[in-house]
Amino acid sequence: MKVQVLFFGQLREILGRGEERVEVAEGARVEDVFAHYGAAHPRLGGFRASTVASVNREFAAWDAPLRANDEVAFLPPVSGG
Amino acid sequence: MQATAIAEDVFELTGERIRVAELAEHCKAPADGAVVTFDGIARDNSRGRQTLYLEYEAYGPMALGKMREIGAQLHAKFAIDRVAMVHRLGRLEIGESSVFIAVSAAHRAAAFEACRYAIDTLKGTVPIWKKEYFADGAVWAEGEMPAVKPSYSASESKS
Repeated sequence: MKVQVLFFGQLREILGRGEERVEVAEGARVEDVFAHYGAAHPRLGGFRASTVASVNREFAAWDAPLRANDEVAFLPPVSGG
Repeated sequence: MQATAIAEDVFELTGERIRVAELAEHCKAPADGAVVTFDGIARDNSRGRQTLYLEYEAYGPMALGKMREIGAQLHAKFAIDRVAMVHRLGRLEIGESSVFIAVSAAHRAAAFEACRYAIDTLKGTVPIWKKEYFADGAVWAEGEMPAVKPSYSASESKS
């Protein structure tokens, strides 16, 4: 199934892009998507503890299950204001 | 466009200068006795280094959703009238407003408390990021980790 993946801030800079559709296995969870990118970008792994995920624009746990066409985002600590 | 919904709260992300006076005025109604505003501005220094300018980016749709959630919390928690909450994005020069919040109420205590709650909650939960540019480089500002509820749906799906 395909999901939409977004990265922001420092994570976006590490990836070199901010958004794309990606194929993941049926039953994949949020952490599987992060691991998929971590395999190609080892630096990402060091940021997992300071990353918050969201699914369909709500904060989500790492073990949250995904459905086709979900919008998954990986967010650094927020610093607005 | 700002302050177009005359009878309603205002929540916006904008690449333009924030029209703070217009937003504060928008919150006033005849039954209000107070408008409290918070004007967050781009400072010229950070941890002893001189800041040249700032850049803000946002996860736009989610950021707006979280700002509206804060507005709903304000109405539930405090005896207030209207809320205006606008965050600037893109490049900001020193002295420009990065965020502006206005809250009106019949009495000042509720307006003060709600405005403080709004900016504190925004800084801890709204997906917006600040990058600080110095003469010798740039850094992403240290931020706050939003709280995440456990994944109940995940545990249900294991059965």
